[in-house]
Parts: sequence; structure tokens; C-alpha cells
Amino acid sequence: MKFFNQTLKSGVAGLGLAALALIGTARAEEFRTTEDASVVRGSIVFKTYCILCHGANGEGDGRASKIHDPKPANLTLSFLSDAQKEIIIRKGGASVGRSAVMPAWGEHLTSEQITDVVAYLRKINRQP
Amino acid sequence: MKRSHTAACLAMLLTQTVIADAPKEHLVNQKAKQFTVTALNAKVGDTVTFKNEDDVSHNIFSLSDAQTFDLGTYGAGQARSLKLESPGAIEVECAVHPNMKMQITVSQ
Repeated sequence: MKFFNQTLKSGVAGLGLAALALIGTARAEEFRTTEDASVVRGSIVFKTYCILCHGANGEGDGRASKIHDPKPANLTLSFLSDAQKEIIIRKGGASVGRSAVMPAWGEHLTSEQITDVVAYLRKINRQP
Repeated sequence: MKRSHTAACLAMLLTQTVIADAPKEHLVNQKAKQFTVTALNAKVGDTVTFKNEDDVSHNIFSLSDAQTFDLGTYGAGQARSLKLESPGAIEVECAVHPNMKMQITVSQ
């Protein structure tokens, strides 16, 4: 009887843990599709590829900014729409008549990464 | 006979000296998102050519005190050249691939 009770308790505990894991997975998947998750992923992409010119805070003062004229854009003050930003990121500055120093990231980043960077830029934008 | 032999030796020595001091051309490839040479010794006046052997674009720039430059971003199969202008250590980077780095030590 004692053995039966212990087995039952272990089984219930196991089922409980499995249910918690399932809920956790579902919540993680739910979070993955949120704007907050996109901003987090975008910040990582930004800090890997964009920080060199645009700086840690996106203000256009990265360590390579001193060798560029015109200076890299201050992304916190950008008035461009998300769609315009995406075009510049994907096709480069020259594609819209801006600085050719801004590379075309479309061949280096996935579409999701570009969408995430745009989400991050939306987050740091201080334009009213 | 002895005088002409001496003149010939002097001419040869002069030629060798001129050849030794002539600017050299160095080739560094960009392959698998890495520089094929990570450390290069060169002299002022030498030229370093960076050839993109990948199927993605690369960039060449340096913020080093010895020489600051940006050779721009260029596609597969293309190359950019840099003339070394002053002695010192030049850290060369790729703006597109943050892990790509190499160093050129330039002597007089």
C-alpha cells in the first residue's frame, strides 16, 4: 500500500512538472511573437552590426563615425517610416540617394532580423 | 679589366638595393568571412590589395592612428587596394562582419 501511494505521488508530481513545462513552452512561444521579443532580438542585431557607425544608443556617434562624411544618422531622431527604414537597411543608403557607406544588409541579415531591427529603432526613436 | 669588374659589381649592388627598396604589393584575401592573412609586415610605400573571394559583400576600414581609412563595401570577386603611408600598427576591420580583423605592421 505504501509502495502504491509513493508511486501515485511520483506520478502526480511528474504530470505536474510536465504540465508546467508545457505551459512554459507555450508562454515562451507566445512571447516570441510579441513586439517586446522583437525589440530584444533587434537590439542584439543592432549591437552586433550597427553599433560601429550608429553608436551604442543609435545617436550616430559610433567609433567609425569619425571617418564618415556625412556622419551616420542619429536614429533616435529619425523621421522615416518603418517601411523607409527597412528599405535602407535591406538595400543600403545609396538605394535611396543617401550615403553609400551604409551597406545593403539584405544579403547578410534575415528578414526577421531586419524586422527586429526596425522594431528596435521604433523603440529608441524620440521623435514625437 | 679590374676596373670594369668593380664597376659591374657596383652596378649589381645598386640594382639589388633598388629592388630591395622597391615598393611591394601584398595580397590579402577575404574568404569564409575571414582574412586569409591575420598579421602582415610591410613597409611604407607598399600596397595591400584585399580581394573578396566570398559570395557576400565585404568592407575594409581602419581607425588606427597610423592610418585611418575606409575603402568602402564591395561585392564578390572585387578588390580594393591600400597604399601604406606611415609607419605603425594598422588594425584592419570589416564593417559588415565584426569578427573579421587583421593587423598590418608598417615599418619605415
